[in-house]
Amino acid sequence: MFRHTMLFLGYELGNVRRNPVWPLFGLMQPILYLLLFAPLLTGLPIGGKPSGGTLANALLVFTPGVMMMVALFGSLFTGFSMINETRNGVLERLAVSPAWRPAIILGRVLKDMIVLILQAILVMGVAVLMGLRLSLPAVLLMLLLMAATGLFASSLSYGLALSIRDEGGMSQVVQLFTLPLMLLAGMMLPISLGPDWMQTAARFNPLYYSVEAGRALFADNFSDGSIPLAFGLFLVLAVLSLGWAVRSMKRIAG
Amino acid sequence: MIIEAHGLRKTFTAKRGRGRTEEVEAVRGIDLAVDEGEVFACLGPNGAGKTTTVRMLATFTAPTSGTARVAGHDVVNEAGKVREKIGYVSQAGGVDDNAPGRESLLLAARITGLSRKQALVRADELLETFSLTEIANRPAKTLSGGQKRRFALAIGLVNRPPLIFLDEPTTGLDPQNRANLWDEVRALRDQGTSVLLTTHYLDEADALCDRLVIIDHGLIVAEGTPGELKKEVAGDVVTLRIDDQAAAQELLSAQPYIKETQAEGDALRAYLDDGEHNLPALLRALEAGGLAIRSISLDRATLDDVFLRHTGRSLRDAA
Ligand SMILES: Nc1ncnc2c1ncn2[C@@H]1O[C@H](COP(=O)(O)OP(=O)(O)OP(=O)(O)O)[C@@H](O)[C@H]1O
Ligand SMILES: [Mg+2]
Repeated sequence: MFRHTMLFLGYELGNVRRNPVWPLFGLMQPILYLLLFAPLLTGLPIGGKPSGGTLANALLVFTPGVMMMVALFGSLFTGFSMINETRNGVLERLAVSPAWRPAIILGRVLKDMIVLILQAILVMGVAVLMGLRLSLPAVLLMLLLMAATGLFASSLSYGLALSIRDEGGMSQVVQLFTLPLMLLAGMMLPISLGPDWMQTAARFNPLYYSVEAGRALFADNFSDGSIPLAFGLFLVLAVLSLGWAVRSMKRIAG
Repeated sequence: MIIEAHGLRKTFTAKRGRGRTEEVEAVRGIDLAVDEGEVFACLGPNGAGKTTTVRMLATFTAPTSGTARVAGHDVVNEAGKVREKIGYVSQAGGVDDNAPGRESLLLAARITGLSRKQALVRADELLETFSLTEIANRPAKTLSGGQKRRFALAIGLVNRPPLIFLDEPTTGLDPQNRANLWDEVRALRDQGTSVLLTTHYLDEADALCDRLVIIDHGLIVAEGTPGELKKEVAGDVVTLRIDDQAAAQELLSAQPYIKETQAEGDALRAYLDDGEHNLPALLRALEAGGLAIRSISLDRATLDDVFLRHTGRSLRDAA
């Protein structure tokens, strides 16, 4: 079982290695946000400080949001590749091979996580070049948090792909959910700037906790309650969505 | 028996939009028995249920009812064991477009349990067999349909299965590659591999298989060796176009050398043995009856005549 997962992972990573353009392309958007949006925040009273004033302070609050955006967007669209495979016979072939079924999904999810961690390192690198200061534990925990968020988002994406099995339908569903989830997580600007009802609504959005946890990590507030909450929440969600994706795969036989 | 199926049925519930559903009886009760080392064909028109049958035998689709044992194991309860013993090349092929064919082949080899080294050896062997070595490292999406199909076959054979399912293996191949594939299938049989293939090409079923079933609307309408099935109708067939078809049919049916007649559209088919010798008698009979012939031809009976006899349609029209 483990062996099959590693085989699929190796195969998928091979594909990424041969064609690394798209994951790099996916970094354009977050990096543009860092370069062209973060400077706008230097005058805003964010991060608990009356007036941040410096770009470094703005980045402290803004970078975690951008990183979670990468984790969410990058991963939620990854399932598209699998829709075609429900039709071109690839999954049909794998389904009647001796491959352990969950490995077919797990290998891809792990590949997505590795790509995501590499992307996260690059985004953090750009932020550091722009003046952000980070401690090593903060960086490592942040990478773990990204991995947990990505694990959930990409399993969800494969689950959606295998149940909807239609590119048009899938992109509608993904778009429908991502924008409100993103806005209500305070990815761009902290929710604490908003009215009470928004702050209440955000509490029902799991992403809110990962963004808050990311900000706590960057501020070296390792005892902040949002950190264990975010990890716990995303691990549970990841397990649920993985289970769903695997079950959806068994149903493609009709 | 490498395949033994009893009463296989599959009913799909297909969506018709707006929440309505429709029951599709794709396979309506099929019995099959395939011997070890046999090349066995399922011949039938589009939508006959060939793919659905193969998918049930290859453990992809669970039958709605009925049972099947493949390579000694039940396809539902022991699907894992069946999968170790079969190769399956689907109608769609199933070669990953994004990776080079060699990578797909290596992955498939390793999934069956080979070590990295063994997988490399096996992959090279198969690439050689199917003349794919030169294009092995190109992304599969840059390959032609026939080249991709050869990769699909190579992947299907990677575990040296005692039984391989080939769903319409020659569709989309040029005559040269089609002939090559026939040779591959024969070579497989010579090595003792059993092959179950589906096709809607009459000549393919005729030339390639030891035994076949003809499937129509989810049911088997005829079964036997190509020779037996054709003998059932007669050795030869005379196809006539005549103004007064009904009269001609009556007249010919009364001739002692005519075994059977079939009206098919504006053509009348008369089945007889030893056509070359009986043709003059047939012509005289028609002339004596005062029937004017618009056209006439004499051919060897084919599996299409078998299909026509059992379904009242020609496979050429049905497909
Ligand atoms: N997943 C499915 N859902 C609903 N109906 C299906 C499904 N798969 C097949 N069918 C229907 O079942 C019938 C048999 O289909 P099948 O694919 O087995 O035919 P076939 O003999 O392989 O035809 P072809 O020569 O075109 O490949 C068809 O009427 C088809 O529409
Ligand atoms: Mg078919």
